[in-house]
Amino acid sequence: MNPSAVFAVAGWELRLAVRGRLVMGTAVTFTVVCVLATLLGLRSVSDLGLAGVGPGTGALINLAILFPPLMGMMLGANSLSSARERSLLPLMLVQPLSRLDHVCGVVLGLVGAVWLTIGFGFGASAILLAHVAGTADVSGLLAIVGSALGVGLVSVAVGVAISALAGSRLQALGLSMGLWFLFAFAIDLILAGLAAAVHLGPVGLFVGVLLNPLEAGRILMVLASGADALTLGPFGSYLNNTLGTTAAALAVCASMAAWTVLSLLVAWAGITRREP
Amino acid sequence: MMRTHRSSPSQDPELLEVHGVSKAFGEQVVLDDVSIDLRRGDIALLVGANGSGKSTLLRCVAGLTAFEGTVRVLGADPRSADGRGLIGYLPQLVALPQSVTVGEVISFFARLRGVSVGRPDQLAAAVPLPDGFLPALERPIGALSGGMRRRVALAVAILGSPPLVLLDEPAASLDEEHSASLWETLQALRAAGGTALIAMPLMVTSLLRHDLASVADRAVLLEAGRVVHDGPVESLRPSPAMGRRLSMAGGSR
Repeated sequence: MNPSAVFAVAGWELRLAVRGRLVMGTAVTFTVVCVLATLLGLRSVSDLGLAGVGPGTGALINLAILFPPLMGMMLGANSLSSARERSLLPLMLVQPLSRLDHVCGVVLGLVGAVWLTIGFGFGASAILLAHVAGTADVSGLLAIVGSALGVGLVSVAVGVAISALAGSRLQALGLSMGLWFLFAFAIDLILAGLAAAVHLGPVGLFVGVLLNPLEAGRILMVLASGADALTLGPFGSYLNNTLGTTAAALAVCASMAAWTVLSLLVAWAGITRREP
Repeated sequence: MMRTHRSSPSQDPELLEVHGVSKAFGEQVVLDDVSIDLRRGDIALLVGANGSGKSTLLRCVAGLTAFEGTVRVLGADPRSADGRGLIGYLPQLVALPQSVTVGEVISFFARLRGVSVGRPDQLAAAVPLPDGFLPALERPIGALSGGMRRRVALAVAILGSPPLVLLDEPAASLDEEHSASLWETLQALRAAGGTALIAMPLMVTSLLRHDLASVADRAVLLEAGRVVHDGPVESLRPSPAMGRRLSMAGGSR
């Protein structure tokens, strides 16, 4: 590993990303919807004579597992495939850095762009909440932010892996959007249907959660923020009831870490074996 | 000016050794047992028609594609950790990102190559090109013409004066003035002990226009992936039978 080269590539990728329309557009949209969700949450709680982030948490969690992962996967999917199509990848790979350095640098830079977007969105929410939130509310928001950063990392790594394997940039983008839709919406519905029809059992449910990094991230956000346990969903509730809060949180963290590492390895193998 | 003297191999070991390189895409053989050796300071033209294997050979030498045979740059495999960074490479077509400036591109690749460019005014100095060859550092790539972008990519290839420079049709998109600057640069590169392998199309107009005999020592002619001629540039002459194309005039390998 050559840290200097990794950081050079990361800085380059971050610079390119933040000047791109995808990051700018997503950051603005994410910030606006975060502000709206927070304002609506405040309005509803003020009607009840309460204060804090609590009731708005569910909305923020849903935003955090929709916007940043979509952005991260698309940025990742665009990275190597676009560089390959523009003949920029060969220019990079003749430089004195290994392919692993390059993959790590790309992931690091794009994760930076996703984290900036998360920072803008939740930063705006935090400013709005500052005058009404208590300490518990702030720690809850920080837990969501921390978990969202993890989800951002996973999604970029998965996107870069897709980028390394896909035949073209368009194919990579299509695959990443399809996978995001599967993770964000379809897989839960499929597993819920399967659970009822074929009786997946505890192990099947557990595996179902771990196979979906976005669901793992969502469960982590709920557990870490102390949000209403009802928002855990059937898989999260099962994990929480079976393992307890701490072990369940560790299990989903392990799932996200495994997704990240495996994705990096796939990306590394892809960029090593394929012609740039 | 042609270089006529070469020291003995023991004093001047091969900088580039390409031995028995073959490459096929499925059934189609693109390179067939290609062998070329270059010594430090050699400037060699790799000449051939479209599809003759020039770009593929450069990619093999750059360590960018798998192949059969052996390639060594200063004794190192270009795909290995020791070999990386010994080569500067200009692909035939490269689209630099439009949202960055010329200075940012040069600065980024200089950092990767370990070339010190602490201050903005050191950026241009890090690139061994004549004054005015590189567009203004503050200009975005997106605002440059095709020829100007080509000049930036060329600057990236020779940044930090790597021991071996591989240029795939470097004069494409360049006007007469900047083509002349390119050949001057190559002469300076050779004078500094640099070595270059330059892929050129098999068109007499482009070759003669640049007076390459004054720049290049050798011309290697590729036909259907095989080296059919390896000799002085002057041995490539227009062939009446081939119209404006070139043929070999004696001195085959």
